[in-house]
Amino acid sequence: MSAPDATQLEPAAALAPPARKLGALRALLRSPSGAVGLAIVAVLVIAAVFAPLIAPHDPFRMAAGPRLAPPSADHLMGTDQLGRDVFSRIVYGARLTLQIGVIAVGISLTAGLLLGLVAGYAGGWPERILMRLVDVLFSFTEIVIALACLAILGVGLVNAMIAIGIASIPFYARITHSVVLVEKNKPYFEAAIAAGASRLRLIFVHLLPNVIPTLIVVGTLGVSTAVLAAAGLSFLGLGAQPPQPEWGFMLSSSRDLIARAPWMMIFPGLAIAITVLGFNLLGDGVREVLDPRQRAR
Amino acid sequence: MARFIAQRLVAALITIWIATIAVTLLIHLVPGDPVRIMYSGFQTTDAEIEAIRERLGLDQPVVVQYVMYLGRVLQGDLGYSIVGDQPVLDTLLQRFPATLALTVSALIIAVVVGGSLGFFAAYKKGTAWDFGAMTLAIVGVSMPHFWLGLLLLFLFAMTLEWLPVGGSGWQNLILPALTLGLATGAVIARLTRSAMIDIFDQDFVRTAHAKGLPKTLVLYRHALRSGLVPVVSMLGLQFAYLMGGAIVIENVFAWNGVGRLAIQAVFARDYPLIQGFILFFATVVALVSVIIDVAYALLDPRIRYGT
Repeated sequence: MSAPDATQLEPAAALAPPARKLGALRALLRSPSGAVGLAIVAVLVIAAVFAPLIAPHDPFRMAAGPRLAPPSADHLMGTDQLGRDVFSRIVYGARLTLQIGVIAVGISLTAGLLLGLVAGYAGGWPERILMRLVDVLFSFTEIVIALACLAILGVGLVNAMIAIGIASIPFYARITHSVVLVEKNKPYFEAAIAAGASRLRLIFVHLLPNVIPTLIVVGTLGVSTAVLAAAGLSFLGLGAQPPQPEWGFMLSSSRDLIARAPWMMIFPGLAIAITVLGFNLLGDGVREVLDPRQRAR
Repeated sequence: MARFIAQRLVAALITIWIATIAVTLLIHLVPGDPVRIMYSGFQTTDAEIEAIRERLGLDQPVVVQYVMYLGRVLQGDLGYSIVGDQPVLDTLLQRFPATLALTVSALIIAVVVGGSLGFFAAYKKGTAWDFGAMTLAIVGVSMPHFWLGLLLLFLFAMTLEWLPVGGSGWQNLILPALTLGLATGAVIARLTRSAMIDIFDQDFVRTAHAKGLPKTLVLYRHALRSGLVPVVSMLGLQFAYLMGGAIVIENVFAWNGVGRLAIQAVFARDYPLIQGFILFFATVVALVSVIIDVAYALLDPRIRYGT
């Protein structure tokens, strides 16, 4: 490390001029994983926004067709045990999936970011206690923390979103903390201290913008974890309740009908897997754009 | 080495201790009256509710409750389960062998399948084989575990009729273990690949090749051994995730382990059982990670000397 690293002295992507942002989008589209991921997420958003226009049937209407009808021209993905159109339910389910992603990641990202920033900046015993606690929570695993939250709050989809959000806080705190530790030792940060920047200014003006690019990547990948977790809780009956067209919940009602109506199990599962894959690929793509060193690998 | 083991044991004890505080607080965070919520499905009089509250010690200040709880836990008393209608610890211990059998067999499948896939992908880095293996891995990571379980159930139990749908014999263990193992194997494949790519680039591997050692010897004796070090270090965390994943998978396959019990406890608001489960889970994960860390330190001396 003899030559000064130019990127270290530059402000982060968040402060970049608009022209560079456009370049970032183009770079994202140029990476195969970024382009595919973005396309999948775009389809999900379109399905959620235009659900009433896309869905051929009312997702809640029973006997929209015969019960347990296999896929046909009228019911692209067949019907369920109450004669509801599976395709329409999946389209409407995209709304719930997006809500889960935004709310759960919003909670864990905000809280984890603050914890990580404070712990990393403060150092000393506050850091040791906070990060030790984070390690402990980490070893409890997200599902157990989520179960504990649901035991407190009671079951339901909104409570499941909150539970998943809380359960992932340790993960975001740990990542923020590790980025802060790196940033704290960079010349720009030492320069800011030397220039007499206040504590709040150091945290929010100097550290925060440099943590954000990493958190954008982690948050995008985190949506997929949140969607998987929420589907799991709904599958167990702890999340979405009837008649919500939540994908995980749709899978749980398919369990006893697998032999008679496999389409009830195949399509909601595919919807979850493709969504999760989409956010995973998008996260990988964003990482490649924000951290060009990764591209060489 | 003794010092290293002692350090890891203390860390594990701290984890378990924090878990006891967390589960004591849990019941206080419940909005409303936990005793009434717990017994909402029963015909109870106000006097009975008060008697239960007194028996559980919930009429005492939190600090007193905590000390009482800790005292009882140290004597192996985790309270009385409403769902199981017996002491919580007995209920958990009865169910634990099933969960242990599931997680250990899943871990073996995950390491064997994921490890070989990752090793193979790294060896064939940049080829179509690598791309194929990693596509498989990312699909595996993106699939919900329980959906994979349903697909395997549909294929092997319903369509091919090779395996039973539910029950508690060893044949019933195959599908859940395969589900959990393959799902975790996808994560391990990605970890192994990146670890092995770093190793293949290192001087000692190049030297081994240059001095004319047979390719298989270099791959398995030199490269694989060092490549496994970072993978083994992740096994503790992977085990915790397997235990977590088992909660869902047990419910897919009606496998009677502690995970299935935990879900029943959350539904029934059986707080003593929920508290006991969390404490039990934290203890098992903490102790297993001590064992894995010690095994890891035995394999790699750099760890125990802290360099």
